[in-house]
Amino acid sequence: MGFTRKNVFELGGDWADPILWYARGVKAMKSRALNQPTGWRFYGAIHGIDQDLWQQLGYLDPNEPMPGDADVAAYWNQCQHGSWYFLPWHRGYLIAFEAIIRDAVTKLGGPADWALPYWNYFKPNQSKLPPAFASPDWPDGRGDNPLYVKQRYGPSNDGDVYVPVSQINLNALADPDFTGDAGGGSPGFGGVDTGFSHGGEVHGGIETQPHDNVHGLVGGGDPDNPNMPGLMSDPDTAGLDPIFWLHHANIDRLWEVWRENPTTDLDPSQSNWISGPAAVGDRAFKLPMPGGVSWTYTPGDLSDLSKLNYNYDDVSPPSGTPQLTARMRRLRPNLTAAADIRSTAMAKKVELLGANAGSLRLSGAEARTSVKLDTSVQRKVSASLTAAAPSVPDRIFLNLENVRGANDATTFSVYINVPDDGDPAKYPDHLAGSIGLFGVRKASLADDKHAGDGLTFVLEITHVVDSLHLAGTLNAKEIQVRLVPQKPVPEQAKISIGRISIFRQGN
Amino acid sequence: MRPVAHTFEAWLFVLGSASLAAWSMLAFQHGGFSPPALCAAGTWPVTPTAASVGLALDLITPAHLASSSALMVVAMMLPLTVKPLRHVRDRSFASRRARAMLLFIAGYMAVSMAAGAALQTLALAARSGEAATLPCLGLAVVIAVVWQISPAKQWCLNRCHRRPQLAAFGAAADCDALAYGLRNGASCAGACWALMWLSLLVERGHLPAMLAVTLFLMAERLENPAPLAWRWRGPGKALRITMGRCACIWSMTASLRGDNGAVGASGHQAILHLAARSQFASQPQPHHQQDDGDQQPCNRRASASALFGIGHYSGSSPRNS
Repeated sequence: MGFTRKNVFELGGDWADPILWYARGVKAMKSRALNQPTGWRFYGAIHGIDQDLWQQLGYLDPNEPMPGDADVAAYWNQCQHGSWYFLPWHRGYLIAFEAIIRDAVTKLGGPADWALPYWNYFKPNQSKLPPAFASPDWPDGRGDNPLYVKQRYGPSNDGDVYVPVSQINLNALADPDFTGDAGGGSPGFGGVDTGFSHGGEVHGGIETQPHDNVHGLVGGGDPDNPNMPGLMSDPDTAGLDPIFWLHHANIDRLWEVWRENPTTDLDPSQSNWISGPAAVGDRAFKLPMPGGVSWTYTPGDLSDLSKLNYNYDDVSPPSGTPQLTARMRRLRPNLTAAADIRSTAMAKKVELLGANAGSLRLSGAEARTSVKLDTSVQRKVSASLTAAAPSVPDRIFLNLENVRGANDATTFSVYINVPDDGDPAKYPDHLAGSIGLFGVRKASLADDKHAGDGLTFVLEITHVVDSLHLAGTLNAKEIQVRLVPQKPVPEQAKISIGRISIFRQGN
Repeated sequence: MRPVAHTFEAWLFVLGSASLAAWSMLAFQHGGFSPPALCAAGTWPVTPTAASVGLALDLITPAHLASSSALMVVAMMLPLTVKPLRHVRDRSFASRRARAMLLFIAGYMAVSMAAGAALQTLALAARSGEAATLPCLGLAVVIAVVWQISPAKQWCLNRCHRRPQLAAFGAAADCDALAYGLRNGASCAGACWALMWLSLLVERGHLPAMLAVTLFLMAERLENPAPLAWRWRGPGKALRITMGRCACIWSMTASLRGDNGAVGASGHQAILHLAARSQFASQPQPHHQQDDGDQQPCNRRASASALFGIGHYSGSSPRNS
C-alpha cells in the first residue's frame, strides 16, 4: 500500500477527512500517559524535553510516573539539528509518528492509507495557519479540538498565526551540494558533516530557511512573559504542537523537490551518513512504533522515499529561472552555455573576506554594524566575477557566528548596505535573508550538551555582492549590516552575535 | 550519490609529525625526562612536602624542566589541539592563518608547559624510591579516578570544546588567537593533569603508560560536552567506533577468507546495525508485558511488511514503567 502526503489546503475543506482523522489520532495519542512510548508527550520528548519548561507550560506534572531510564536514554532528546542528519532523522520521525496515528485511525474505522498532510506556506493564500488548527472547537462546536494549542502566538505574539512570506525563502534548493562546510562557506542543502547532533552549531541551508524561521514565526512567544516560548519556537517543546508535523512534512517534501534534479542534487555517499551516527560510536536513530516494537533506522534506509512507499502530491520546483543560470546571465550576458553551469562541481575553497569588530547585542527594533573587508581577498572576488571563462564565480556567505541568547522565538532579517536613514523594508534587494534562533537557548548553556558557543547561521549574499559588483561599488572598505527583528527584541532575551563575518567560496 | 573529495591539509601533517618526533625523542631519551629514572636511587617521602619539592627543584635545572615539559606537551597534548586549531584556521584570513595558529599554539604550550613542569616536579617530589613506589602510585590512582568522575573534570572538558569568536584584523586578532590558546591550554591541563601525573609516576613501562594516557585523552575528547555530574567518563565512543570499523573490515574480508556464508549481500549494513545495538547492551531491556497505549501485547515480532522492511526492528522495547 502506498501513502501520499497532500497539501493541507487542497484536501477539500477546513475539516476534510484526512484532517478530521488526524485530529482523532492526535486525541488518542494525547490520552496516553507520559511513560507510554506511543503517547503524545513521549513522542514530543523524543524531539526534545526540558522538564522545567514543560512544567511551566503545563505539560508535565512532577508527580506523574516517568519512563524508565533505559527508555529515556534510548529515545528522548534525539532530534538532529545543525547536522547532515537533520533531514533523514526527521523523515524517520515523521514516518514513525504517522504509523502511530494511522494505527489509531484504523482502529477507529478510518482509512488504512491515511497519511499526514503538509503545510506549504509558500503557496499563495496558504501562509495562514490551517483553520482546523486555529479553532479551539471541533467542527461540531465541541471545545476540545486536540489540534488547537494555546501556546501558539504567531509572528507578532498576538495569537494571529501565519508565516509572513517575506521572511521565508527557498534559496537552499539552489544549492547543488547536500553536505556543507562548517568553516564559513555554504552549509549545504542538507547540513554539515557531524556525528549524532542533538543541537549542532551550524545549521544547514534548508534547516535555516525555511525550517528555523517557520518554527519561530508560528510559535512566537508569550506576550506576558518575554522568554516563555510558544511550543513551536523551542526544540524542547516543538514536538508537542500538532502543526509541527505538517511543517516537517513540508520540509521533507522540499528534500524530494531538491532531489528532483538527478544530475547534481545527490544525497551524501559517505558511509558515515549512509550508516548513521551509530556507525561512528554515537546513539542510533531509534523510535517506538505501534504494537510494542521499536524501529532503528539509518539515513541510507530513508534516502529514497519511493522505497518507503511514500510520495507527495507535488514536488515541482519553484517557478522561475534557476538561480545559478540567472546569475550567470546577469554577470556574463555574452556567455551562451550558462544553462548547464549547475552541473559544474561547486568550488570548495573557503576563505574569510571580512568581519566586524566585537560582539553585537540585538535588542529593541534593530542593530547595526560594519563589516570591514580585506582588500586582497576583495580583489580575488572581483576577479572571479569579471572572469571571462565559463567557470562558476565566487559565492559569498554572511556568517552570524556564536549567536547566543535566551529566547528561541527571536526572528530577524539581515540587510546589507541600506542607507543610514533608509527604511529596510523599502530595500528588498538588499535583504540577505531572515533567521530564526531555533535552539539558541540550549546552545548558549556552557555546561550542557553544548559548550555554550551558541549557534552559527550562514546566509548566502551572493546576489547582493553581485549587485555591488555590477554597480561598481564592491571596492568599498566596509559593508554595512543591519539586523531588523520581526518584533522588538526584549532585553531579557539577551541576544548577542559574537562576530559577523563574510566568506568567499570559490577556486 | 555524490562522490567524496578528500584534500591534503599540510598543517595536520606538520602537527602529526611534531608529535611523532616528540614521541621518538621520548622513546630514545634524547633530552627526555622521566621522574622514575631520576629518582630510582633516592630516598624520598611518600607524599610531596615543601622540602621534597625543593630538593626536586635542586636536582633539575629550569632548562631541563622546560625542555622535558615541552617534549611531553608536544607528544601528549598537541594532538588534542586539532579541532581548536581548525577553528582558528577557518575563522582567520588566509594570509594570517599560519600566524594565528602559531599564536594559539604559543598560548596553549605556555600554559601546558607550566602545568607539565609543575606535574613533573610534583611527580619527582612524590617519589620515594623503589620501596615506596606502590603507596605513591596507589594514591595517584585514587586521585586520578576521583578527578575522572568529578563534575570539575566535566567543567574542564566542556571548556575544551569551546570555539569562541575571534577578531579578524590587526593586534586584536593576534590577542584573540593567543588568548584562545591560553584558555584552551588551561582547560586542557585541567582535564588531563591527573592522568598525566599518574603516567609520570609509573616506573616500569613509563613510555607505554604515557602513550596509553594520550590515547585515552584523545578518545575522551571525542565525547560531546555534557552537564556537570559525578559519573564515569571513558573512551566508550572510541571503542564503539573501533568495534564498528573492525566489524566492517571483518565483513569486507569475508570473501577473502572463503567465508561467504558469514556475511550476506547486505552484511555491511547488518554488521553496522549490530555495532550500533551493542551500545545499548549495557542498558537492560527486560522482556516484560507492555501497555503501549493500545492495549497491544509486547515482545512480539513486528511484521516487516507493515514497516516497509526498512531499518531494524526490535520487539523487546520500548517498555513502560
